[in-house]
Amino acid sequence: MAEAGNLMSRETMKSSVGTAAAIGHHGELIQGVFKDDGGRLHRGLVTLPIAGLRSEARFARSDADAVVVHPDQKVKASAAARLTLDLLNVTGGGELTLQSAIPVGHGYGSSTADVVASIRAVAAAVEVQLRPSSIGRLAVAAERASDAIAFDDHAVLFAQREGTVIENFGGSLPPLLLVGFKANGGVPVDTLQLPPARYDSVEIQEFGVLRALVARAVRLQDPYLLGRAASASAVISQRHLPKQGFGEIAEIARRAGACGVQVAHSGSLFGLIFDLFASNLKRRAALVAQQIRRAGFKDVEVHLVNAEGWTW
Amino acid sequence: MVTLDVDYFRDLETPRLARLAPNLVAAAFPLMKLMPARYILDRAASNGELKAGSHIVETTSGTFGMAVALLAAARDYRLTLVTASTLVDAKYKARLERIGATVIALDDPRGDGNQPGRLERLQEILANEPDGFWTRQYDSPCNWLAYARLAELLIRAMGRIDCLVGCVGTGGSLCGTASFLRTVFPHLTVFAVDTHRSILFGQPVGKRMLRGLGNSVLPKNVRHELVDEIHWVGAYPAYMTAHRLLREHGLFMGPTSGAAALVAQWVATTLPDAQVAVIMPDEGHRHAETVYNDNWLAALPGWPCKELPGPRTLTTVAPAAETQWTRFLWLRRSLDDVLKTQAAGEVPSAVGAPENL
Repeated sequence: MAEAGNLMSRETMKSSVGTAAAIGHHGELIQGVFKDDGGRLHRGLVTLPIAGLRSEARFARSDADAVVVHPDQKVKASAAARLTLDLLNVTGGGELTLQSAIPVGHGYGSSTADVVASIRAVAAAVEVQLRPSSIGRLAVAAERASDAIAFDDHAVLFAQREGTVIENFGGSLPPLLLVGFKANGGVPVDTLQLPPARYDSVEIQEFGVLRALVARAVRLQDPYLLGRAASASAVISQRHLPKQGFGEIAEIARRAGACGVQVAHSGSLFGLIFDLFASNLKRRAALVAQQIRRAGFKDVEVHLVNAEGWTW
Repeated sequence: MVTLDVDYFRDLETPRLARLAPNLVAAAFPLMKLMPARYILDRAASNGELKAGSHIVETTSGTFGMAVALLAAARDYRLTLVTASTLVDAKYKARLERIGATVIALDDPRGDGNQPGRLERLQEILANEPDGFWTRQYDSPCNWLAYARLAELLIRAMGRIDCLVGCVGTGGSLCGTASFLRTVFPHLTVFAVDTHRSILFGQPVGKRMLRGLGNSVLPKNVRHELVDEIHWVGAYPAYMTAHRLLREHGLFMGPTSGAAALVAQWVATTLPDAQVAVIMPDEGHRHAETVYNDNWLAALPGWPCKELPGPRTLTTVAPAAETQWTRFLWLRRSLDDVLKTQAAGEVPSAVGAPENL
């Protein structure tokens, strides 16, 4: 088509620069296997996004074939940039620069945040807006297993090894306060060395129930139901990737009136979920943080989820 | 053959969710037993126990039989159902046979369903059948596992659930749903509905008037430790409540659903701050000539009886008349525990509504 030739004017803008960011997360609210509409099972997860953790990418297109990345160990981000250029039918390469404040190896999704920021930066450099579903697919292609951070704070049940959405919950997570910390002495986990969990039939059936809780929690913005789902998924995760002190944390959560306990299912993170609008929250969160520190856990931090500028 | 392109009447196993009161939702099933039947057959097909053209056997003439018959017909399996002459009427037998099931109706001199005789016959068939598969709805964990789907549907519709009310026959629906709901709502109070002279919760065996509820043998899928309260509902109040469901809510359900609704409406009224879910297992069509027939009803001795405002609370497990509705605080004990306590003449310490509400 004649018009197609004009649209190829991307080729004449090789000096374009794109910048973009992606956020990290605090592991998963739930993770397991889930049925699609045809009854087939897929590994899937619901990510707990933390907007305060960011990776920023800058991509400057060049005539050279290669994609050059800084820092140079971020090879997955570089691969993602290349895949994005290919998807968009763009020739040439470019220089990809990443700047991230997300700690590596605990389940904060530092790698996926780099990858997603890179995909978005490349797309911005060629002035294309990619849909979250396309970004998610590219991210999985670049790093084998991904998370749902391409969807930002929009809650989806994401098939992390296929890059597809099993269920779109149709909204954001309710506003939460998360008291996060690290288990197992804060030793990082190498995600790719973990074998995929093998779930039994009771667990597989239970995952459907947890998915229903998340669907309802998003639809009615109910932090209690979200906490119930997270806690049950954490209990299942404990059978596959145990975290030291789980029982103690569950007891602290119960006494503090938390909505639930959340874990990074392939990391060392723990989180206590609170309703952001609960009474006396500041005092309760401080007290809980103190109890957790006293119990010997590391790096206790408070994160706000979908807080919309809410202040103490 | 099983193909994933056909949904095998998934809609027929999905309940309508009817709100009977501000805090009471009923899962009204057209044919609840499709849920466990499909799950049991799917699992058996995927692990190789059930092969193309296998011969399925089960000892039921109830709705589980109809569910397996529908699936067996659609998937080209042979099916033999072993039942008792007292449990199956000619019309239902004809319906089962029309879709390809073989129905064997044994004599039932004691009027208790003759389950031991039925099991013996089933074993004979299996012994002579290399490709035989017994669905084992009484004992197969797949029966209760299937009800995760009901827990999902209830949670999507209701959110937090505080009380669950349901009938017990095999234990699959109530114990399965309760077990999945309690994993996420540990405070859940479970109300089991049984009928007088069913042995499930410790009553002596005897002739039961209400079909499809209770049992004369104890299936493994009845997990007593999940149950907070047991209610025994007689046939008369169950029939009357079934009539009321049709009149007031447009729900044409079987009498066991009436028994469940009677208990559920009492729970919802007694505990107005609790969110209550009730399971109603089947529709009224099979009972059109009896429970929904005025001539048949008029011939019942003492019909109609007076409406019961609530259950009579028992301190020891004992049978009552078909006009009666009784209740006993089971308190998540095993059957052995309850029977031992009874033998020692002790009364459980907690009385009144369960403390965790």
